[in-house]
Amino acid sequence: MASQFSGVLQLTDLDDFITPSQACVKPVKLEKKPGKSVAKIQIEDDGSYFQVNQDGGLQKLEKAKITLNDCLACSGCITSAESVLIAQQSQDELYKVLQRNKQNSAEQTVVVVSVSPQSRASLAARFDLSTTDAARRLTAFFKNLGVHHVFDTGFSRTFSLLESQREFVERFQRKDRDKKALPMLASACPGWICYAEKTHGDFILPYISTTRSPQQVMGSLVKGYFAEQHNLTPNQIYHVTVMPCFDKKLEASRSDFFLKEADTREVDCVITSGEVMKMLEQEGLSLNDVEPAPLDTFFSSVHEDELLRHAGSSSGGYLHHVYIHAARQLFGVEVKDITYKTLKNKDFQEVTLEKDGTVLLRFAITYGFRNIQNLVQKLKRGKASYDFVEVMACPSGCVNGGGQVKPLPDKPNKELLQQVEDLYKAENTRAPEEEDRVAHLYHSWLHHVGEEKARELLHTGYHGVAKNTNGLVMKW
Amino acid sequence: MEIVSGFVSFTVSKVLQLSRISQHKNAQATKKMEEKALEVYDVIRTIRDPEKPNTLEELDVVSEKCVEVEDLGDEEYLIIIRFTPTVPHCSLATLIGLCLRVKLQRCLPFKHKLEIYISEGAHSTEEDINKQINDKERVAAAMENPNLREIVEQCVTEPDD
Amino acid sequence: MNILHKFSAHPDTRCWYVAWNPTGTLLASCGGDRAIRIWAREGDSWECRFVLPEGHQRTIRKVAWSPCGNYLASASFDATTCIWGKKGDDFECLTVLEGHENEVKCVSWAPSGSLLATCSRDKSVWVWEVDEEDEYECVSVVNAHTQDVKHVVWHPTKELLASASYDNTVRLYKEEDDDWVCKATLEGHTATVWSLAFDSSGQRLASCSDDRTVKIWKECHPEDEQGEGRASTDPEWKCVCTLSGFHSRTVYDVAWCQQTGLLATACADDGVRVFKEDSNSDCHQTIFSLSVHIPKAHNQDVNCVAWHPKEAGLLASCSDDGEIAIWSYQSET
Repeated sequence: MASQFSGVLQLTDLDDFITPSQACVKPVKLEKKPGKSVAKIQIEDDGSYFQVNQDGGLQKLEKAKITLNDCLACSGCITSAESVLIAQQSQDELYKVLQRNKQNSAEQTVVVVSVSPQSRASLAARFDLSTTDAARRLTAFFKNLGVHHVFDTGFSRTFSLLESQREFVERFQRKDRDKKALPMLASACPGWICYAEKTHGDFILPYISTTRSPQQVMGSLVKGYFAEQHNLTPNQIYHVTVMPCFDKKLEASRSDFFLKEADTREVDCVITSGEVMKMLEQEGLSLNDVEPAPLDTFFSSVHEDELLRHAGSSSGGYLHHVYIHAARQLFGVEVKDITYKTLKNKDFQEVTLEKDGTVLLRFAITYGFRNIQNLVQKLKRGKASYDFVEVMACPSGCVNGGGQVKPLPDKPNKELLQQVEDLYKAENTRAPEEEDRVAHLYHSWLHHVGEEKARELLHTGYHGVAKNTNGLVMKW
Repeated sequence: MEIVSGFVSFTVSKVLQLSRISQHKNAQATKKMEEKALEVYDVIRTIRDPEKPNTLEELDVVSEKCVEVEDLGDEEYLIIIRFTPTVPHCSLATLIGLCLRVKLQRCLPFKHKLEIYISEGAHSTEEDINKQINDKERVAAAMENPNLREIVEQCVTEPDD
Repeated sequence: MNILHKFSAHPDTRCWYVAWNPTGTLLASCGGDRAIRIWAREGDSWECRFVLPEGHQRTIRKVAWSPCGNYLASASFDATTCIWGKKGDDFECLTVLEGHENEVKCVSWAPSGSLLATCSRDKSVWVWEVDEEDEYECVSVVNAHTQDVKHVVWHPTKELLASASYDNTVRLYKEEDDDWVCKATLEGHTATVWSLAFDSSGQRLASCSDDRTVKIWKECHPEDEQGEGRASTDPEWKCVCTLSGFHSRTVYDVAWCQQTGLLATACADDGVRVFKEDSNSDCHQTIFSLSVHIPKAHNQDVNCVAWHPKEAGLLASCSDDGEIAIWSYQSET
């Protein structure tokens, strides 16, 4: 099976040739029992393993289980991670939860689905709908299946953008005493984060913004604020996100986003736009046939029944918002238009703020592995003169995520990509500062939980993965 | 009728005689190859398993029968080794292959070409492993990896060295 | 074929590769001793003209001269590629190209000299661009192969790149919409493809493999009668000749003489062979016959063969025994 992870992750996958079940190099902890020297292992015809004890008795041996956390903490392959993910996070898991709800009316799990703006654009393109129309029909589709709430991660992205802006200004102000304060590298792309942690570790991690991605802010909102409001414990909610990208499953599985006390993840399951397509097919439905339902406005960016977007790139507009905010806050410059200068290729663009011939701010967009490479190498040589970089693992950014709906056979991918981009950009914009409900949540909920907790809810940390030095499990 | 059969029997005895000569030659050659095979086996039997304290011989990973030698002429021989990993999914099979290759390269006193395979049906990814352990570039690179090298050294060093 | 010289170039280790500079005055060699040596003919013998300073931590697998002859690139198992340039009387390392996850297996310069390709066990092929200030930037990372990539080589005149892999295939790449994409996959070998060589016109590509064969692939344009009925305008590469039964072990390298059209091979059976194209072979059914076979060209596996760029019939070869041999081929007539 071809890997569905982003190209960046596939490259770090040093899986060689061994099939997934063989590829896992995670050393298994053995319980050593005294008095037993060499035990014999007997293999049955059905493939099960038995240990032959010295008294001749047989003892069935358990298969070693690998969790996704083992995979994420390991510098080995990601192929195993992929098979584990498919088992733990798929539309089938969502169906199981919905089925349980139907069978057991006494113990209901509240099912929340948060849809990303890029996913709704991808599905809108497939069914020739506007994004808001697609979102209404998706809301109806999920609710007909038994989902209770359908939210929009554009709403939680408002927090990500505001936090990124603050973080940048704070970093800029300490750049003289902290060599690794700048450039600040965007953190919304999980493929990039995983690559940075596994390949460049402690060198690169300090540059990466600690701000949570929209998906994980939504995790905080749903399992925190929403749970409180509905008198639910976090584990009474099953939170699903719909994402343009397979790597988001890895992000949701990070231990940083596991609520220990409640024994639950902030995002329980991530399904891709393409997997929503599969659900529709499974139900024998076209989105065109689904009667639209009103949007769930509890956590959605809506104005007069139309969904809103953020300005800037279709990957979240991080550069745009941080740039405008920084120009205003740090230099008192009101930026009206941003001029992007294309450098080596369309996925490497630069924006500068100049005053009297001096460059005050130099920002860049680097998408795709080749551009990430050049950025990392420049950083290593001390030649990266940027203050902020919007880094995304996929060429063309998130609208081109590996989890998006695949083009129909007669349609070139390039054409589809343009269509999704156009649909995404057709939505009206709203500046993060103007989202009153977010301001309200800052004021009430986040202020109420205290500064430290608020930081925890909106930020995260990164962990370098040590290179495997165990020769026994090394692939060559 | 008799003449015919007499002719036949003459021919048969002649053929038998000839084949006995070649058999004798063959037997000599076979004996030489068997000696070479034993020489090879003597080098590999004491290689230790990367995980266990036992030798490959003790674990039945290798046996005398698993070595085959062919004469390539000019005092050069083709050695074919077929080893049997302890379990069919053994993750250390490539490492064992590496040990076999390294030790023979170091210790065998005669010129040779070496092919190492997993005995048929003894591993779930047999073909892949065969390909890897017979790729001299991959083997060379592996032996430059300090972690791999350390393990291989431990396995191929004689205890009394 | 006569042997002109044989000398120990990388004692007690493998000599992996040799490369002539474009004018043929220098021969660079690299090996398991992590060294790069540059040789030149001095009267009747071959002398080591330069020993490059230590630049790599592990085996140097291949070296390649830039088309202008001023730079030398080296690919190493230490995951890096070094670019060397002449400074005064010595060579010095100008740049280290990092990014591959593990062993870099090959490096090759495009005919323009402004592009460089590298490949690695990490399954990827990288295209690098060099600007006027000798700064290198990665312009593309292509993950078309499913396994270890063993060799990359550029078309002699066009910006067309070919790669050979452990996944038994050969792939061809072109630039499209500011990125490099795989345009063709040549399937036919049944084991690792170790090396590739274009003929002087670039219309044919020779590949050699662990399956003990050499294959010749020919570019067929859709308008050709052979490639009829295809929708795409991209040329198709078809196997027009398979040299099998000649080599008794892995064929590690193949070299196509740009002047004479002779095809030389390096084989793990210690032999060097030269094949000659039959004059009556037609363009769709190429026939090559074995012209020379030197069974014990070296004491061990022959890793590389390289035709001299100017002097027709002059061939260099190198081996696991650390030696380099220089041969002179005379046509039979």
